[in-house]
Amino acid sequence: MVTFIHDNNPVSLALQGELNALPKTPGICMFIDIVGSTSEKYKNDVGVWGKKLNNTFNFISFLNDFPDHIVKGIGDEIMLFIPEEELKTKTSLNSCFALLEELYATLDNVKNFPVPDLFLSCKVAMHYCTEVYNITFLEGYNDYYGIDIDLTARLTKKAVENRIVISEIFYQKVLADIEALDTPQHAEVLSKISDKYIEDFKGVPHPTELRIIDV
Amino acid sequence: MNITKSNEGQITILAIEGRLDTTNYNELENVFLEVFTAEKFQVILDLSGLEYVSSSGLRVMLMALKKISAAKGTFVLSNMRDSIHEIFEISGFTTIFKIEKDVNAALKHF
Repeated sequence: MVTFIHDNNPVSLALQGELNALPKTPGICMFIDIVGSTSEKYKNDVGVWGKKLNNTFNFISFLNDFPDHIVKGIGDEIMLFIPEEELKTKTSLNSCFALLEELYATLDNVKNFPVPDLFLSCKVAMHYCTEVYNITFLEGYNDYYGIDIDLTARLTKKAVENRIVISEIFYQKVLADIEALDTPQHAEVLSKISDKYIEDFKGVPHPTELRIIDV
Repeated sequence: MNITKSNEGQITILAIEGRLDTTNYNELENVFLEVFTAEKFQVILDLSGLEYVSSSGLRVMLMALKKISAAKGTFVLSNMRDSIHEIFEISGFTTIFKIEKDVNAALKHF
């Protein structure tokens, strides 16, 4: 549950204490960005680009499974955060592996089975977060803060059209999910995961390990 | 999810019951593989019992369509519930698939 943080005293020790005592909320953070929508707006009128955006958002059926976990939408980009404890309660989309498979299928359906002029492509970043706090500084809003949210946003810098970028930590969770399955599953997405890349991101004091999945 | 296979002459009818999602799309993939290995490319999907289909499930149907089309076969979906039909409409796939209200109507495509 979100904690509203507010104190008018800029040197408040009480607030600092309250913040330091906050519980962490481990979970999966995702940024889904619709590609090419800005140029679409210059090329076409609102009737055309609006329809494509509508279709594309509808097409990401995944969003219907997590309507309460869409933290924010900024134009054509959506941020989702799914606390691990809540993910486990889901019927089918209940692991990092399942989330990755479903997003891969969505991007693959858009790319490889296109219905002309109806949809726009997507790019995605996914990270398993441990340093996250369910807090807001604006009353009435739900939000998540922490270095792992920032890191997920940084991962989007490596994403391009029809690409999913995952952190190495997320990848390790996927492998653990597969290991825990009763029956071995042969998912195409696994063969598409790249070797490990190491990148330096602005503001992150250590190199970040990531993997890329080009659909 | 349950998949029941039956034949009507050279036509294979696959009836799907339950939810088709990330946990079980492999099962449908394997059934298709079995059918295609037997050189059968005349297929009807009876979706009267299908309660939910995710992107992973949709993808298996699209891949089957691609394979059947390449083999110059025929693939028809039938008996979709309104909620499933809505998913196909939203995705624009009603323009890609042949969709009929029941198996009898689907059989007329062959």
